[in-house]
Amino acid sequence: MISFPVNEHRQPKVDWLMIIAILGLMIVGTLFVYSATMANESAALAPWYNQAWVRQIFWYIIGGVAMATLCLVDYRILARWSLIAYVITILCLIAVPIIGVDRFGARRWIDLGVLQFQPSEFAKLSFILAMGNFLSRPLDELKLMRVFWKAIGMIALPFLLIMKEPDLGSALILLPVGLTMLFVAGVPPRYINTLVGASGILVALILIDVLFAPPQWQLKLEDYQKRRLLTYFGIDGASANSTLAQKAEARRTQRNYSYNVDQALISVGSGGLMGKGWREGTQNALGYLPRAVAHNDFIFSVIAEEKGFMGSVTVVALYSVLLFTGIRIAGQARDRLGKLLAVGVVAMLFSHVFINIGMNIRLMPVTGVPLPLLSYGGSSVLCSLIAAGILQNVYIHRRS
Amino acid sequence: MIVFDQLKKNDPYLRALTLAVLLGIGILVAGLWWVQIISYRHYTENQKSQSFRTVRIPAIRGKILDRQGVAIAENRPSYNVSLYLDELREEFRAEYARSRQPQWVTNSLPFWKRWLGFNPVKKQYPKQTIPQRRALEAQVRYRVASNIVQQVSTILQQPVPFTFGDFMKHYTNQLALPLPVLVNLDQQQIARLLEGSANPPGIDLEIQPTRYYPGTNLAAHVLGYLVRDNRSLEGEVADFNFRLPDYRGHVGIEGEFDAELRGKAGVKSVLVNSLGYRQSENVWMAAEPGKNVVLTIDAAIQQAAEGALQSAMAGSVRGAAVVMDPHTGDVLALASSPSFDPNLFIPRITTEEWRRLSDEKLKPQINRAMQEKYAPGSIFKVVTGLAALEIPGFDPEQKIYNPGFIRVPGRNKPIDDLAPAGDYDFHKAFIKSSNTYFITNGMKAGIESIIRLGQRLHLGERTGLLSSQETGGDLPKLAEVRRGWIAPDTAYICIGQGRLSVTPLQMAVMISSIANGGKVLWPRLVQRIEPADPNSGETIIEFPTKPPRNNLGVSERTLITTREAMLADVEEGGTGKAALVAGMKIGGKTGTAQITNPRGQIVGHTTWFASCAPFENPRWVVVVMVEEGASGGGTCAPVAAKIYRAIQKLEMEGRSAVALNTP
Repeated sequence: MISFPVNEHRQPKVDWLMIIAILGLMIVGTLFVYSATMANESAALAPWYNQAWVRQIFWYIIGGVAMATLCLVDYRILARWSLIAYVITILCLIAVPIIGVDRFGARRWIDLGVLQFQPSEFAKLSFILAMGNFLSRPLDELKLMRVFWKAIGMIALPFLLIMKEPDLGSALILLPVGLTMLFVAGVPPRYINTLVGASGILVALILIDVLFAPPQWQLKLEDYQKRRLLTYFGIDGASANSTLAQKAEARRTQRNYSYNVDQALISVGSGGLMGKGWREGTQNALGYLPRAVAHNDFIFSVIAEEKGFMGSVTVVALYSVLLFTGIRIAGQARDRLGKLLAVGVVAMLFSHVFINIGMNIRLMPVTGVPLPLLSYGGSSVLCSLIAAGILQNVYIHRRS
Repeated sequence: MIVFDQLKKNDPYLRALTLAVLLGIGILVAGLWWVQIISYRHYTENQKSQSFRTVRIPAIRGKILDRQGVAIAENRPSYNVSLYLDELREEFRAEYARSRQPQWVTNSLPFWKRWLGFNPVKKQYPKQTIPQRRALEAQVRYRVASNIVQQVSTILQQPVPFTFGDFMKHYTNQLALPLPVLVNLDQQQIARLLEGSANPPGIDLEIQPTRYYPGTNLAAHVLGYLVRDNRSLEGEVADFNFRLPDYRGHVGIEGEFDAELRGKAGVKSVLVNSLGYRQSENVWMAAEPGKNVVLTIDAAIQQAAEGALQSAMAGSVRGAAVVMDPHTGDVLALASSPSFDPNLFIPRITTEEWRRLSDEKLKPQINRAMQEKYAPGSIFKVVTGLAALEIPGFDPEQKIYNPGFIRVPGRNKPIDDLAPAGDYDFHKAFIKSSNTYFITNGMKAGIESIIRLGQRLHLGERTGLLSSQETGGDLPKLAEVRRGWIAPDTAYICIGQGRLSVTPLQMAVMISSIANGGKVLWPRLVQRIEPADPNSGETIIEFPTKPPRNNLGVSERTLITTREAMLADVEEGGTGKAALVAGMKIGGKTGTAQITNPRGQIVGHTTWFASCAPFENPRWVVVVMVEEGASGGGTCAPVAAKIYRAIQKLEMEGRSAVALNTP
């Protein structure tokens, strides 16, 4: 069941502007994954096919193929299968704590033998498809409380499962994506206001609980999650009646944990206007920016250090092109399903970009959210390109 | 444009979304602007302070040269073996992997995992807490470094102490610098290390200039010594992370001219990685070598003077010898005994050596030529004689009978006269050193005229030669001799005892004034300060001979009479006959001052010989002083003779006859 777009008005088949932005990001990604990893001698000595930048290119190609393949199938057909995708994803997420493998203290990966993948990345995509499919029902139905609660349930289920992994960042991304889709779908604003208000109060309560409540009252967060939050809010976690030594120890620990952010800030800040030049950044080469994160979660600080404010603004501009073409596609969509899917993808990409770059300049707490297309990592690259594929799909089948 | 197109569309939802994204991007760009442009300086400073360590590199110390250009303090290369820990990181890693072997564990798996094909046998590293891991890493590093030090020790055939504590101290405090393994290798060890084809990793041979005194004890008191001091001089960059060992001159020329000799320290920056290991080095500011100080000392004469002084008595001689040019005041030799070897202070003096140098009786650190004051004894009769000869109508031929003692009004006990009883004129009294004659005529001249002469000689005042090592001695003031002064006080001054004390250097100035026609000179020790590199174009700082400090204000006749008497003291069988040197006419005066305890008992003698030569036109003044010698003539005159003979030999045979030890 393959339907080809009808090209009556000699309009371009695909959104070339977006493709150019994506290619630009891919070039930047390759260059800086190279810069971030080649500073490490042992990494530089690895065989070429095992080097991070080659793998990144490989994933770009796979992602590109996936994106193209996706465009062959009308999104309306895809949406029909979305519920199944959603269920499979949920099953994967349930399976992660049982058969998943640990990396860096969190269990987020499923090992397929040849490769490992992060179900939470794909969960975002299947969530967008399923949510879009669910919300594309007639407008009247959306006013029903029952439908609204179902939608909330669709958000909450993957949210809680991903939160449990723990992957606070990926889980939190579901909230703006879900809320944006509800908003654009036309769910009565009072529902959304209530929802936003309620979740705001909930987040505030959780924060107050985690940060200030006596230990026996606190939510059972993972140690590192709590520390990240404490770090972001600059609290050293020592109670008022602890001894001086304990306080000093708490401060020291806090400094240790705020290390990544501090170093990222120094990297970004010391880049200045023009940067130190490609592969000239010292923060990464000398290991101040931890090698484990320099090429993935903190790739932006490598770019910012080596290419300065001009480089960072270029990256932000490339993302802006991607996002605004996405919004334009939403406006040109042939139906509400297409619009919702486009809006969901835009919300997801924007949340990633904002949280990740914000984390590099201390606007946001540190959560393991990758920078789409730039951060090293197969799951993230693949998901970002599939997401772009959904946008292109909506564009190809747009209103004529 | 793509952005505003969205805003114009009639879709409130998408318009809101566009605005939200626009706002978000605006926030990011504003944040980036704040961090990268506004706070650029702040973060750059942070980045530098965490990744650069500054190291102070001491400058090469200037040389101290004698008047002939012979270096008496210089620098020699010291070869040190250093271990670069940053080159051992691979070894650390390998050793750590060896120290932490994985274990094979068999887990009991739930049936479905077994069914899915999970292997129950797993490779697992023993669990350890963070402090345990740190301790293991430290142990591993120490083991690797210690092994290498052991290998070096085998190559050099010398045990090298290397404790865990030493290693950790270096690792935590000075990781950016190489770890010094062994300093001061000898030639054989250098050869063994250089020829070794398989030197252990991270080992490097470094050359460091080290202060060296080729003449060992030569002119030690003039030179002074160095003490360990890495501090910055005023006007230098002061905030260093690390300082390489440096020295500061303590007394002597090293102390007095430290600022010139020391040069200007340089700055080296070491780029370090996040673990503190050295990554690369870069000299920001090269050190400027110190300037050379050229002395008036003649190393050959100094060596002769020291050797002669040593031979004054059996055992440790406590004394001094000064050789001066009577026309310029240039100090040609300034010897003090016992002496010490300033090389002992490099790199650091041992407690035992320091105890030896602090001996209560020998006081080897005291520069006896100028730092200690002594009763001049009979050599002061030169001044008394000048005063007497200047009495109007004084006849040096007129004889005075000496009964072997002299009674002085106001003192019950007569003062002994060691000269045999008989009639004495000036000439005879001088060469026999008759107390009776000089007390009688000195009292005739009056204490005030003697004090005035002393004042013109600037006795009781410092010459300013080496300020930290000089005493002025004592000379009664005119006001003192005018009130409550009694005849015996004058009598004692006449024979150089009593309330009078001088330094050998002052006596050399005194004899110079007799020799040069009455000019009281400023002694001079430093000729000039030259730049280390003569072609650098830097100016040479000269210390020219100063105009005379004063004039004796006595007649030429008086001076001639005194000089003739001095010559006779040596040549006509006087007290100084032991100073006789064939081929050189020496004039001198002996002195043997009694040292009395508070109860008036004689507890020892300070013996002197003050002289100048040649008689016709004196070119050298030699003053010798020995504490607790037998007598001036017996102990000091032969020392002076030896010094003159050495000078004579130098004049006739040239310098090659007396060569300094060279390293």
